[in-house]
Amino acid sequence: MRVPAAVFTLILAGSGALAAAAAGPARLEPYDAQRHRQVLAENRGKVVLFDFWATWCAPCRAEMPLLVELDRKLRGRGFRLITVSADEPEEKQQALEFLREHRAPEPAYIKEVEDDDAFINAVNPDWSGALPALFLYDRSGKLVKTWIGETAIAEIEKAVRGLLD
Amino acid sequence: MNRNILGSMFLALLAAVTLLAGGLNVGDTVPDFTLKSVDGDDVKYSSLAGDITVITFIATQCPISNDYNERMKAIYADYHPKGVKFVFINSNKQEDAAEVKEHAQKHGFQFAVYKDPGNVVADLFGAQVTPEAYVVKDGKIVYHGRIDDSRKGEVKDQSLRNALDAVLAGKPIAKPETKAFGCTIKRVS
Repeated sequence: MRVPAAVFTLILAGSGALAAAAAGPARLEPYDAQRHRQVLAENRGKVVLFDFWATWCAPCRAEMPLLVELDRKLRGRGFRLITVSADEPEEKQQALEFLREHRAPEPAYIKEVEDDDAFINAVNPDWSGALPALFLYDRSGKLVKTWIGETAIAEIEKAVRGLLD
Repeated sequence: MNRNILGSMFLALLAAVTLLAGGLNVGDTVPDFTLKSVDGDDVKYSSLAGDITVITFIATQCPISNDYNERMKAIYADYHPKGVKFVFINSNKQEDAAEVKEHAQKHGFQFAVYKDPGNVVADLFGAQVTPEAYVVKDGKIVYHGRIDDSRKGEVKDQSLRNALDAVLAGKPIAKPETKAFGCTIKRVS
């Protein structure tokens, strides 16, 4: 059977899109306090986990694949993992490669701010800036849970599922 | 109810309030506490402190803390001759005294680094990251936060130096509280 050219093109385009999704983020978008408010507003109605991480942070690197897996499992139920790298500009490529290696979801962000203090306070005034920092928001956009430092993935998953149910 | 029970309740309440407040804050009095030298001796904070004291929580393995090694040495070299005392503390559970000693030698620290077994002192202060600095003047915290505002790029705010300059000049500190990204202190569970 001959496959019409248009169908063949569609199959190619489809596989291309799948390959792009499986390859992780194409780029890191700049992130500041204003973007944080915007991302929160855009994701109203979803359960959102913000992961503030950095390539130099060993526990951040260790938990990234587990968080990506959680996103993959629960995305269809309205869960979103938003990664925000706190790496310096010269580490941007390294951060992107790490996210691509672990197939992190898009969009992915990197902090680009003039003043860390103001940014950290805008995200959460109770946060010292310690990494990793995870902030879980419910569907109404309310912050319901914060984890700083190493955290068991089972605890995170339980809290996320509790908000999805 | 006798006074002892009341006293215990008050202490428990005080401990709870301290935890909720996240340890010691600017304006709080620093109580005496005990550290361990890298050779295993008990050392009282009161024996190390002066009129002006910088307490800094540091690490051996944290890349952020290590990026500040040379800057910490420079700050020590500039301010120790002016009478400022320095207390460097390692509270990380996975970095033992031998590692702290070796790290200090390798990087040529002119100052001692003390261990905080069980992260008791980090808990007392509510310190979360490395590096994280406190300036104590006449027993009270007058500055808490980062050393400066840029780990690798151009430094725009010499936060700790500015605080020390102000204190030495008897002037108010413009920014007594700052925050910065850093490695979490690895505590005992």
